[in-house]
Amino acid sequence: MIKKVLIANRGEIAVRIIRACREMGIETVAVYSEADREALHAKLADEAVCIGPAPSSESYLSMDRIISATIITGADAIHPGFGFLSENSKFAELCEQCHITFIGPDSKVIAKLGNKQEARNTMAAAGVPVIPGSTEPIYDAEEGARIAAQIGYPVIVKAALGGGGKGMRVAGTPEEFAHSFQTAQKETQMAFGDNTMYIEHFVQRPRHIEFQILADQYGNVVHLGERDCSIQRNHQKMIEESPSVALSEDLRGRMGEAAVKAAKAAGYQNAGTIEFLLEKSGNFYFMEMNTRIQVEHPVTEWVTGIDLIKEQLRIASGRKLSYTQEDIHLNGHAIECRINAENPAKGFRPSPGTITDMYLPGGKGIRIDSAIYSGYSIPPYYDSMVAKLIVWAKNRKEAVRKMQSALGEVIIEGIDTNVDYQYEILNRPDYLSGDIDIEFIAENEEALKAALKA
Amino acid sequence: MKLDNVFKKTRLSSGRKGYISLNSAKPEVPEGLLRKCNKCGSAIIAEDVKKDYYICPKCGGYFRVHAYRRIEMVTDEGTFEEWDEGLTTPNPLEYKGYEEKLRMLKEKTGLDEAVVTGKARIDGTETVLGVCDGRFLMASMGEVVGEKIARAVERATKERLPVILFACSGGARMQEGIISLMQMAKTSAALKRHSDAGLLYISVLTDPTTGGVTASFAMLGDVILAEPKALIGFAGPRVIEQTIGQKLPKGFQRSEFLLEHGFIDGIVERPQMKQTLSQILMLHKEERCPSPGEVAKQEKRNESAWLKEDGNGELSLNNQLASGWDRVLLSRMNDRPVGSDYIHALFTDFIEFHGDRYYADDKAVIGGVALFRGMPVTVIAQAKGTNTRENIERNFGMPSPDGYRKALRLMKQAEKFHRPVICFVDTPGAFCGLEAEERGQGEAIARNIYEMSGLKVPVLSVIIGEGGSGGALAMAVADEVWMLENSVYSILSPEGFASILWKDSSKAEEAAGVMRLTAEDLYCMGIVEEVLAEPAPYTIENLKEVTRILESKMECFLDRYGKMSGEELTKRRYDRFRKM
Repeated sequence: MIKKVLIANRGEIAVRIIRACREMGIETVAVYSEADREALHAKLADEAVCIGPAPSSESYLSMDRIISATIITGADAIHPGFGFLSENSKFAELCEQCHITFIGPDSKVIAKLGNKQEARNTMAAAGVPVIPGSTEPIYDAEEGARIAAQIGYPVIVKAALGGGGKGMRVAGTPEEFAHSFQTAQKETQMAFGDNTMYIEHFVQRPRHIEFQILADQYGNVVHLGERDCSIQRNHQKMIEESPSVALSEDLRGRMGEAAVKAAKAAGYQNAGTIEFLLEKSGNFYFMEMNTRIQVEHPVTEWVTGIDLIKEQLRIASGRKLSYTQEDIHLNGHAIECRINAENPAKGFRPSPGTITDMYLPGGKGIRIDSAIYSGYSIPPYYDSMVAKLIVWAKNRKEAVRKMQSALGEVIIEGIDTNVDYQYEILNRPDYLSGDIDIEFIAENEEALKAALKA
Repeated sequence: MKLDNVFKKTRLSSGRKGYISLNSAKPEVPEGLLRKCNKCGSAIIAEDVKKDYYICPKCGGYFRVHAYRRIEMVTDEGTFEEWDEGLTTPNPLEYKGYEEKLRMLKEKTGLDEAVVTGKARIDGTETVLGVCDGRFLMASMGEVVGEKIARAVERATKERLPVILFACSGGARMQEGIISLMQMAKTSAALKRHSDAGLLYISVLTDPTTGGVTASFAMLGDVILAEPKALIGFAGPRVIEQTIGQKLPKGFQRSEFLLEHGFIDGIVERPQMKQTLSQILMLHKEERCPSPGEVAKQEKRNESAWLKEDGNGELSLNNQLASGWDRVLLSRMNDRPVGSDYIHALFTDFIEFHGDRYYADDKAVIGGVALFRGMPVTVIAQAKGTNTRENIERNFGMPSPDGYRKALRLMKQAEKFHRPVICFVDTPGAFCGLEAEERGQGEAIARNIYEMSGLKVPVLSVIIGEGGSGGALAMAVADEVWMLENSVYSILSPEGFASILWKDSSKAEEAAGVMRLTAEDLYCMGIVEEVLAEPAPYTIENLKEVTRILESKMECFLDRYGKMSGEELTKRRYDRFRKM
């Protein structure tokens, strides 16, 4: 069993991992930057090593410094958390070379899944549904229309070299296709000096549904149900919940099976997440696989009763999963709200600063994962997420109420937060009814702004 | 709230069962995985260093590179053919322990000696290559190093190939005494023959290049490049410090110092080295020459150009009414296109070469090689800035002696490689200052006038703004001199003229009226051959209107003069000034 873990991260996830280790009798080493001397994770761990100046590139992303800290402190494993080096295959490889257990999958698996095209091909080959798209470059509308018909409308025409939304057009019907294609191609030519196009089935207003999986080193893989993360602003998740109201038992079964298939196809081990886009029609498509623990893991923990961080540590220590798929049941409903130090009224501008006073709610069915305390100064260098508020109740309706109540109690003085914004989201009729998709925030933006001002 | 030492630490559970540990080996960094950068001291992943041209990802510092890796970095894969392997030193001084030392080094490095020579291709162009390897007695030059370089250069001369030498050396090899000293002469002499054969030698200085190597082959390149921050000097810094008893300033003897002092043409980052070498080789390919057919086509096009010149030599200018003073003001306008604008508009593949090889790199003169319609030419421009900051840097286009010497160096180089010279003249005058006099401003101008009269390649000078006195003439002893409509060319600035003749510099406007300094005046006096009309107001926005005409006229010029022999050119040039 792992005896001593170095946590190559900061903030609430570092705290979360330290707590799990402590409960298991595993010693902990925190690393911190010069800006994080007073950070909770550095105070809480058994040992703490300063690894460099404030910019992440010189501290939390500095592979050689983290490896050195591991060796100096005699830790035998590194937990990378999320962000920073967590999905860096080179770092994982470096750990392997130094005989340090990297708590996560094999470096080659990280590399394979990190490459979008390779990941897509692996999944398609394993029979996991991927978004149907053209396989060859397309240069003219006629050829494009033929392929679009095979793929199935609506389709989206994209620049092969694309990025930044340029050279992208949706065609809802065959009649619209020629015009959409030509416009997109013209834009592509202007933007990238190239006219190579790519066509893909356009997934209309999907939900973001992801499946948590756990895989041990002996080929056993289970899924722990889904998380619905459709409430996103600019691709940043804000609220996550489990289970999703959009999944019937049958669909959950099929998607879960696909997720397990995906993990097996990739030769995956440890905790991972398979992201899908779910259409209203019930069709779902593989988007990507995250090869790390996720921010929103607590909602899964609550409905399954499984401690994911502890499972990660056990799997990395070579233990077998102690349950099979039949043992996994989703019980009740959990919701998580991310609390960020930012100002929604000012374009969600980050709001670092000193927390002068704070009060956080508690009670039955309320969990707070955070790294803040009264008097703590949030440095401006890192992510603005400072806490996660997670609630559990028997069903969604009660869970939403509990979250509303809990958000209403949160007091964080000295900085701006998105707590009120989250509170307003919870009060939108579409949210309450569960009728959400990834366009939710964009569509409710004005209403939310107005509600905040009121 | 202070949180120091308030939390309880992990209490290890005594009954913890030992699971099978996956890692039987204890965590440790395996040998060779990390390297230390000796510039910034940080540990770096060795593979990153290798992948990234041996540059420290942390501080950007350069690691020294083994010869074969260097060859891989700059040549086309699999094209290197090594020459003269296995030459060994006879230990001429019978220096004790030398043979043993060499034997050990050979074993350790896998090299025969401190330099690897041979032939390779760079983007398809064949070249002779010599690369020093610092692992072998700091790549000091003994008999074998000198011999290998001399042989490679001789063979390059015979096969008419360019030579590229990557220098990195502590200097002459002490263990071989006077024989080492003689290698300086041997290598230099071989390079002299190579140069006399009209062939190109590019020297690349890497860290460190010192002593007898600096004082021989390293400093003799037609083009001398250096890697950033490389130590380059004759006497090593430690020797100097001990001799003069002073601490040397920071950056002393580094590439940047040498560039500033005019000894190297440019500093090239390692990732760009191959591309830079390739460009220089391309600009010096022997088979390049303009196709007359293309030129003939061009001549036809000229006739329909908007600048019309009728049979009587009457000029068609856009603004006939401007007075001399008006033109003086126009020539000094801030937003008037400057030398570098013309370089970019008229040429492709321009590569700037720096320095006079004596004292400094004068930023008031820009010079280098470029392609004009596919033909290599040497381009030299007196450079004003486009804003105050740049103007200060470029000394408002007033060249120092170093600028004229750089221009002359590049013209001589053009002559060696049979390239025409195109000069753009735009200066209020040669820099008038203490330092300029100390370094011989008068001599520098005189030398240029003198040498330009005898250049055996076509020379064209175009006055694009101010043609101020001797400072302008030092770049205008050409086969033809052309002027832009609103440029001026005079014995002195109107202010100076009024001051000397009338003791009143405020009468500049009046002076401009009598000096006959406009393009039209000078055309009528036979001082210039062409006048190019300008749009009004003339800025970078409509520069193309002028360069379009200039370009086709230049093509005709190059076609006409390109056909003449060196003797014919110099005779005509002599006659041109003789009759004035």
